[in-house]
Amino acid sequence: MAHHNEDEGSIGTSMHGVTAREQVFSFSVQGEDDGPSSHTARFDDPTAKFALPVDSEHRATAFKPFSFAKPHMTAFHLGWISFFTCFISTFAAAPLVPIIRDNLDLTKSDIGNAGVASVSGAIFSRLAMGAVCDLLGARYGTAFLLMLSAPTVFSMSFVSDAGGYLSVRFMIGFCLATFVSCQYWTSVMFNGKIIGLVNGCAGGWGDMGGGVTQLLMPMVFHVIKLAGATPFTAWRIAFFIPGFLQVIMGILVLTLGQDLPDGNLSTLQKRGEVSKDKFTKVFWYAVLNYRTYVLFLLYGFCMGIEMTINNVISEYFFDRFQLELHTAGMIAASFGMANFFARPLGGYASDISARFFGMRGRLWTLWILQTSGGIFCVWLGRATSLPIAILSMMLFSVGVQAACGAIFGIVPFVSRRSLGLISGLTGAGGNFGSGLTQLIFFSSSRFHTADGLSLMGIMGMIFTLLVAFIHFPQWGSMFFGPTSDERKSKEEHYYAAEWTEEEKRQGLHEGSLKFAENCRSERGRKAASDGFSHSTPPENGNPAHV
Amino acid sequence: MAIHKILFASLLICLLIQSSHAATKERLFSDLEKSALEVTATPSRVGEGVVLAAGVDKLSITWKVSSTATKEPEFNAIKVKLCYAPASQVDRPWRKTENELFKDKSCPHKISSWSYDPAMKTAQSFDYTLERDIPTGTYFVRAYAVDAKDHEVAFGQSTNEDKTSNLFSVQAISGRHKSLDIASVCFSVFSVVALLVFFVNEKRKAKIEQSK
Repeated sequence: MAHHNEDEGSIGTSMHGVTAREQVFSFSVQGEDDGPSSHTARFDDPTAKFALPVDSEHRATAFKPFSFAKPHMTAFHLGWISFFTCFISTFAAAPLVPIIRDNLDLTKSDIGNAGVASVSGAIFSRLAMGAVCDLLGARYGTAFLLMLSAPTVFSMSFVSDAGGYLSVRFMIGFCLATFVSCQYWTSVMFNGKIIGLVNGCAGGWGDMGGGVTQLLMPMVFHVIKLAGATPFTAWRIAFFIPGFLQVIMGILVLTLGQDLPDGNLSTLQKRGEVSKDKFTKVFWYAVLNYRTYVLFLLYGFCMGIEMTINNVISEYFFDRFQLELHTAGMIAASFGMANFFARPLGGYASDISARFFGMRGRLWTLWILQTSGGIFCVWLGRATSLPIAILSMMLFSVGVQAACGAIFGIVPFVSRRSLGLISGLTGAGGNFGSGLTQLIFFSSSRFHTADGLSLMGIMGMIFTLLVAFIHFPQWGSMFFGPTSDERKSKEEHYYAAEWTEEEKRQGLHEGSLKFAENCRSERGRKAASDGFSHSTPPENGNPAHV
Repeated sequence: MAIHKILFASLLICLLIQSSHAATKERLFSDLEKSALEVTATPSRVGEGVVLAAGVDKLSITWKVSSTATKEPEFNAIKVKLCYAPASQVDRPWRKTENELFKDKSCPHKISSWSYDPAMKTAQSFDYTLERDIPTGTYFVRAYAVDAKDHEVAFGQSTNEDKTSNLFSVQAISGRHKSLDIASVCFSVFSVVALLVFFVNEKRKAKIEQSK
């Protein structure tokens, strides 16, 4: 499908705005290709130097996960591995809780509150991260998070009571904002057509860290004990490993990474043009859109539940089924590891359903995945034998993680202007949901952990009903079709509504219009019968596009 | 689809193994013969409000088969354990006392194990130094008599039935070390300084390039 003349930069061939999956704070780099198009590649054609095929903005149009080619695939790998490392650090305490609770004389409330604290910090850091990346670039955004939170990981060696434990877990939790910097980085490096898959992989593989840590930390602890340390010292030493990983990744990001396909932000800011939108406007339109809040809550009950499970599941298996520490860790790890395929699968399922049923398909896919996750969570709480518990846990993991992928198949369409902020807010909703569920179900002796799991599953299913409230005038919702109003049922109307008349006169909303045209596929099969008379495929290089 | 079949098969096998174990799991604490053993535990330091230090202080433990013990012929070995007093079980469900023996988690710390010699009618005594992984809490000592199948048949403890008398407190080691603290500070400083060095360096290079 990609016959467009990508390497020529001719008018109308820019893939900018083809699909929704792009950073709001996008910019154009005035490269050397601002002359009339030429059909022969020139010697100084900058696109010739990229290992991957690129579009006119030098964003990669192909995704090759086994490649480490600069700058695109390097950025992808550095991004997701940084996020992965931060997940390891944030949940590193969870599998070691049986040892830590004896060392620090913790009660169930102490453990639960620390779990809440570990995910709460990121609510705020994720919101701020978008702005930080704009200011400093994705590279420094990531490196700052990694290297400034590494001291908090090392400071576990000082902890001697419940208060200290809670504070340290709270501070470590801030680094989960690498989710935003990672997605920001891939969004500037990869073309809109493949960004869904790229972001799904980056997000899913990063989330795997929550699973890997359940395996890694008990193993490291065990090895340190064999080397002669007593348990109450060994767990503190074990925390040095995530700390080292963070420092190493920070250095790698700074030395190997690049902010943008053409160079680093500071260099480019002084050379080319970096146009930005006004933050107050972006904020305003995000806050006015009710779907932002619905997505905030929905993500809280897929990603939020996933993070809660990362914190409680290892201890649950250890206590309920009388397992060894590393056995419980292994089982808990398989929950998080399912992310490797489950999250991309969810995004893919969303895309497939959109092809047939448009946005309605996406919404139903999300509802089905998240509700089945809830059902299996209830089953996990009821399970009294180990094999059933493991089976239900695995099905539960696929359900919620695929739901996470499916939500980010919908987020890009909610707003074009405020995409970055809404993505950040949705991400923050995940942390909020995790804090809330841990506070209600796992921080007091009111519920047995098993009952807490079942009740959390039921709460998740109830909140998932909110999907029915996401309605797009141009595409409808789960139960209702698009509005019959001729004017309002156009995609252009929805996305142009985010700009004032003054801004429209200045032509600032052109990007939104282009985007609106290209997301007509969200009407489903009907889009084909509507005919593509409205959307001019870029192959023709039709100047009328501009 | 093959995956589903394998999953189902393994599930079936696991369930079968599970059910075969079920029969042995219902041994109850309340079925054990109480006070079959007379157990005393004397800390090395006694007094009002004395807290023993893990890894340092000792317990002097003696156990003797009571003359009233009826299941004595079944005794094969004596297992002595450190158990949590009720005060240390509050808001800590992982230390809960359960009647089903396999579920009971109130006596997780093994002190020692002695094989039982019916000929020895006198009290056995030994010293036990509190291990360095004993958590902070209030404790008492219990001795279980097990039979040849390693099933508990009787017990005796150093406290009364309500677990309110003759308890002793232990303070755990902190687990902290000065060398660990220093290493932690060093790596933290390195991390922050490395970041700042990179940042400042790059800003400088960008300025130089711009001025060219």
